[in-house]
Amino acid sequence: ASEMSKDLMPGPYPRTPEERAAAAKKYNMRVEDYEPYPDDGFGFGDYPKLPDKSAHERDPWYQWDQPDVRHNWGQPMHWDFDMYIRNRVDTSPTPVPWHTMRKHFLLFLSTMLIMFGLGEIYPSYRPVGPKQYPFNDLYLERGGDPNKEPPVVTHYEI
Amino acid sequence: METTLLLNTSLLLTLAIILTPTLLLPMSKTSSNSPTTITRTVKTAFLISLVPMTLFMLSGTESITSYWEWKFTTNFKIPLSFKMDQYSMMFFPIALFVTWSILQFATWYMASEPHITKFFFYLLTFLIAMLILTIANNMFLLFIGWEGVGMMSFLLIGWWQGRAEANTAALQAVLYNRIGDIGLILSMAWLASTMNTWEMQQAPLPTQTPTLPLLGLILAATGKSAQFGLHPWLPAAMEGPTPVSALLHSSTMVVAGIFLLIRTHPLLANNPTALTLCLCLGALSTLFAATCALTQNDIKKIIAFSTSSQLGLMMVTIGLNLPQLAFLHISTHAFFKAMLFLCSGTIIHSLNGEQDIRKMGGLQKMLPTTTSCLTIGNLALMGTPFLAGFYSKDLIIESLNTSYLNTWALLLTLLATSFTATYSLRMTLLVQTGFPRTPTNSPTNENNPMITNPITRLALGSILAGLLITSYITPTKTPPMTMPTTTKTAAVIATALGIALAMELSTMTHTLTYPKQNPHLNFSSSLGYFNPLMHRPNTTNLLNSGQKIASHLIDLSWYKKMGPEGLTDLQLMAIKTSTTLHTGLIKTYLGSFALSIILILSTQT
Repeated sequence: ASEMSKDLMPGPYPRTPEERAAAAKKYNMRVEDYEPYPDDGFGFGDYPKLPDKSAHERDPWYQWDQPDVRHNWGQPMHWDFDMYIRNRVDTSPTPVPWHTMRKHFLLFLSTMLIMFGLGEIYPSYRPVGPKQYPFNDLYLERGGDPNKEPPVVTHYEI
Repeated sequence: METTLLLNTSLLLTLAIILTPTLLLPMSKTSSNSPTTITRTVKTAFLISLVPMTLFMLSGTESITSYWEWKFTTNFKIPLSFKMDQYSMMFFPIALFVTWSILQFATWYMASEPHITKFFFYLLTFLIAMLILTIANNMFLLFIGWEGVGMMSFLLIGWWQGRAEANTAALQAVLYNRIGDIGLILSMAWLASTMNTWEMQQAPLPTQTPTLPLLGLILAATGKSAQFGLHPWLPAAMEGPTPVSALLHSSTMVVAGIFLLIRTHPLLANNPTALTLCLCLGALSTLFAATCALTQNDIKKIIAFSTSSQLGLMMVTIGLNLPQLAFLHISTHAFFKAMLFLCSGTIIHSLNGEQDIRKMGGLQKMLPTTTSCLTIGNLALMGTPFLAGFYSKDLIIESLNTSYLNTWALLLTLLATSFTATYSLRMTLLVQTGFPRTPTNSPTNENNPMITNPITRLALGSILAGLLITSYITPTKTPPMTMPTTTKTAAVIATALGIALAMELSTMTHTLTYPKQNPHLNFSSSLGYFNPLMHRPNTTNLLNSGQKIASHLIDLSWYKKMGPEGLTDLQLMAIKTSTTLHTGLIKTYLGSFALSIILILSTQT
């Protein structure tokens, strides 16, 4: 007795214009706005296909009947309304177009990755030089010929 | 007297003192908890925790104690063990000092809150979870603390749960932290399967640690410490009250990821790939956050991005294989970042809820103590010589310049250092100097000692903490001693360049007209477009496909196609093909049936 009557529940896909008009009236919509989901066997019936706009796009300052979901009594709800609440997906228009955002972000990311790769190939380190020993740089200990004259070694002082 | 006994006793006393409000809650009706009792509890715990810290500083006593063992299986035991080493001994007093100041501030800030005792209780629970994380000797106890701080972060960010943006921010924090937890659980699983224990003082492998568990640890730190890739939750977490931002998202919780890497640094130390990954990730995070902070107009968001940038710097230090220096930066950062948040809280309340710096100005004369401490905090953040931040930040930059590392990481970190100076100065100029852009009847008042005492205490800490810690703690690795003058002064030069840039830009905005939008401003103020690009498509696809699979596909396929309608379709198909075959002459068929039966019957008889 507390349920909705049979004529208020969603029904089968409307085939005739009269059925369309009756369905639009049932959902409190204008006949021009009413557009059901296509009848491809997925079980939508005559439920209206509302535009995919989330609750973020509705006026935050208007005195809604239910301010938290920004919805008035009797207004048709989207099939995926639980996805479009204010805690979930936001479809509001961004200040910058989507393709610009994507392009700039991917440019930034790819530049960073390429530069990190370059930084790995050419790392930064303090200047180092090979170790030098005094006199003739261990010429004999390194297996140099004792009869030949050792090459002149220049020592550097930092 | 045996120093380890005194150490263990005093530390356990600290923990017991902090736990008392939680135990008193269900007990008596007369001595109930109130904000003042909880503040007093934390103050007492701080004073007691100075005992183990002094013991450690003067005698170098460390200990690992275990109290009970969970005999999980016959060969895998999980003890309840506490590790009291340099890191936990130092972290306890610092965390308790900062928490005490924040709780004292919150008695004024949240005074008009009806559930103020529950708020304080939440903050206390968070502190307990954070201290468990710090003192844990095995990964299991650390995981308990890890999840605890994540849970309390969710509850505290969404404190004003009637506000949809706060709920979204809390959800965002939990989801991003969860992605990091996958990494932590992965490395815990590897540790359990290879070393058969979750204790942290087991000797690491002499050969190179495999990269996969280290990637898990780095993922955990990325999630918890808001490195680039899992960072959007930290600016969104500013929806919570300012004491929450000061405690969780500046000093304590966000350093949990870095703390994990400090605790497991023996595993990281012999894997250069993991170290390079830490370095590059930290450098990218610090620059990205500093770039975003340049164009923010909300004072709390600027400080949030500043925190994110400093966390990137801590990750860079881990990548340089200097965990002790990272811990030093954690300690000094806690002081001035908490102070910056408390000063911003005072400013926000004094301007009756105004958080936009474009509507502030000239506050130096109206709120002298607060703005002076704000200046001290900003100077410490920039690494002004001999304030707290200098001791850690300058050492990090020096070690960066004198190590063998990725050049781009070095350049990014230096650039981020100058950006730090730029956005700090921008904030200072817009908030404190110039003409007031606030409404004339703001309830500007800082005469309450509940405001001035915490802020001045933290200011004292910001000035002295660096000096005190570096004087008493001996470094485990030799710092670079000799370097050219340019390298030695690189940090100061970068900061000075950043200040010059900020001054130049501010004079430009006063004199020249500026085009309103340009790609760089859009990129910086929209946080690199990361938030809409990642959040919208992923959630839409996930929720849409979930809805379609759950309702349409399962209902359609299992209830209909596998049952009645499937049979119907198959039968229809069979019928349609076989209908063309037969001709439907029923009377002829019946006649043939009757004829054949009569024939058979007649032949039988």
